[in-house]
Amino acid sequence: MANNDEKRHPNEADRARSSQDGLVRKYAEEADVCIVGAGAAGGVLAYELAKAGLRVVVLEAGPFWDPQRDFASDELSMQRLAWQETRLVAGNDPLRLGHNNSGRGIGGGTVHFTGVFLRFHESDFMTRTADGVGEDWPITYHDLAPYYDKIEREIAVSGPHHFPWGAFQGPYPYPVREPISANAQLFREGCDKLGIESVVAPLAILSAPFDGRPPCINRGFCNQGCMPNAKYSGLIHHIPKAIAEGAEVLSDCTVTEILMAGDRVSGVLFSHQGLMHRQMARVVILAGFVVETPRLLLNSATSRFPQGLANSSGWVGKAIMPHSSHDVYGRLPEEVRLYKGTPVLALTQHFYETERERGFARGYTLSAHGSRPVGMAGAIATEREDKTFLWGKQLRETMLDYNMYARITLVGEVLPHPDNAVTLSGEKDENGMPIPKVTFSYQENDRKLYQHAIGQMNRIMEAMGGKPEHVVSDTAHLMGGCRMGNNPEQSVVNEFGQSHDIPNLFIAGASTFVTSSGSNPTNTVMALAARTADKLIEAMQQRDV
Amino acid sequence: MAKHRRYPAYDVWEEHANWDVHTRQIVGARKMPQVAHSYLLPAEALLLQAIVSVLVDDHRLEVLTFVVAHIDESLASPVGESQRKVGVPEKKQLYRLGLAGVEAESHAEFGCEFGALSAGDQEQVLKRISGGSVKEQEAWTHAAAVDFFKKLLHDTVQAYYSHPLVWSDIGYGGPAYPRGYVRVEKGLTDPWEAKANGE
Repeated sequence: MANNDEKRHPNEADRARSSQDGLVRKYAEEADVCIVGAGAAGGVLAYELAKAGLRVVVLEAGPFWDPQRDFASDELSMQRLAWQETRLVAGNDPLRLGHNNSGRGIGGGTVHFTGVFLRFHESDFMTRTADGVGEDWPITYHDLAPYYDKIEREIAVSGPHHFPWGAFQGPYPYPVREPISANAQLFREGCDKLGIESVVAPLAILSAPFDGRPPCINRGFCNQGCMPNAKYSGLIHHIPKAIAEGAEVLSDCTVTEILMAGDRVSGVLFSHQGLMHRQMARVVILAGFVVETPRLLLNSATSRFPQGLANSSGWVGKAIMPHSSHDVYGRLPEEVRLYKGTPVLALTQHFYETERERGFARGYTLSAHGSRPVGMAGAIATEREDKTFLWGKQLRETMLDYNMYARITLVGEVLPHPDNAVTLSGEKDENGMPIPKVTFSYQENDRKLYQHAIGQMNRIMEAMGGKPEHVVSDTAHLMGGCRMGNNPEQSVVNEFGQSHDIPNLFIAGASTFVTSSGSNPTNTVMALAARTADKLIEAMQQRDV
Repeated sequence: MAKHRRYPAYDVWEEHANWDVHTRQIVGARKMPQVAHSYLLPAEALLLQAIVSVLVDDHRLEVLTFVVAHIDESLASPVGESQRKVGVPEKKQLYRLGLAGVEAESHAEFGCEFGALSAGDQEQVLKRISGGSVKEQEAWTHAAAVDFFKKLLHDTVQAYYSHPLVWSDIGYGGPAYPRGYVRVEKGLTDPWEAKANGE
């Protein structure tokens, strides 16, 4: 990857400096803030803090991608955009990790997310009060609303003029996407027939030019990395802007330990090309997602903090939540061609809020979701809800009708449970760090919820003119593990992501979620990060951390 | 391959000149897979090819060779498995034990090696393994038959449905950059997409 050809990448100079020519460092003595992880949360924080004049260093385990050279229109090869290091999985419903819910490299999961950009509802922040389940957040929707506004404007989210569910009713900053794919059209027609309201999805994908980037060309490979740069990612938006504001972003640098000086964090230890380095900092922010953040905290135990850092409550690693994300594939008499267009272009939150007569608490979002051959064949062959396998002639004949299939996908709320947890296993990786173990089992409410959703997806599929043929058991996203709260005995961080135990240690990202909601989480991850940034800037200016 | 293809005249590779260079390299390499293996022993590679052929119901050598080469490459690679269930051996070991288990099961049920069985008998052996109802229990003491079958089927299907010949079979539009799609709505197709009437 020598760097003597034409400049095709906005960060070419930084990319070369960070990964190729050894480690040239800008704030080797000490930074004001060291951010671990350059994903959805880390990107927002890096930009906001650098803009405020703070000396920021971002350490990212994965590479500094160049969309033109590193991405491809191909499912199999682009699995490398995910965190593929082996994690042990356990429980009654062991999770699929990797490409299913994690990112690796600058931009993190935003590099391969579908771009669905929803807000949580007011009820999502108070499920204990409203429904007697889960836990209340230490903040309300209204604490976060200004930050949702800010992020959506800043990245030009496209969406409908009117959004019928939740506290935010629209309009979105950029026009709604048009046209929509056949699968999305059929889904909306099916919903209409049943009296279920649906919308074109709000998306972090451009519907018109913005900031030197073009609108979407409906290539359809959002999950394999956007090549035209029409889809938002931290890689092409927040990180380049952070660098322009003076932040240093070091890729291929894996943080293995948080360093302590007495009761305070002093920096981190990281590995780059087999050598260990230190980055000292006044404040450390962990933004390494739901598995790696608890892993780091647990692995950094000292005699002063024998249970791991920030863990006097014992809640580090606990109450992790995926979304239940079952799929229904149905066969239609006409061609649908699931490969075409942005994968998610229509959705409904008709079933979002608790309705007691359904026999479970909370609810879900249903989306029309595209699918490609590797994704569809893999899912219907090996991830069937009935636990059977599909192979041989049956699989081949099903896939010969690939173009006749439509797909609906669930984003279902999973309630927090302390037994669903990230812990350290006895096995070690090549850096000598214990491999994390991720344990997950659905609880009764979770199962009732997704069974209800499967019923509704089947109904909508039939209203689309399709015959539901394959129900796939899957999960999406991952949240929790370092939850926020007002009570230091039952939570890891406060409402701003600041550790209850160690005042100059912050946690950002989905790991601070208290509950999972029934919405795609990225908008909330970024809004929370922006809120943390505001608080931290104020505190650091007043020398308050 | 009893069932007919909907798009017999369609060949997705014909469009490769319209794909970006990186994608063209990746997909093109699948048409010329390595026959030398890094992890699998020659006998294991042959056995794996016979199993893959049953799993995907296809006998085209060029496709099967690619699938086996891809699995071999992943077995030799330092890249992780994303996740591994507690109690399941590492992928390398799982394949070694599992392939031996298939051979053992074939001998236990039919008295000869898997490669020499009729297609129906091969299917019968794999059916037992997929359901965990194996006759030769001892071969599966360190790796559960179902765990092996799931990993094997997963890896096989992912590679198989990445081959451009298979994309053509099913009418998948394939790579779409830099051109994207103009006609995405119901009933519309761009000129280069597969057409059921064979145009």
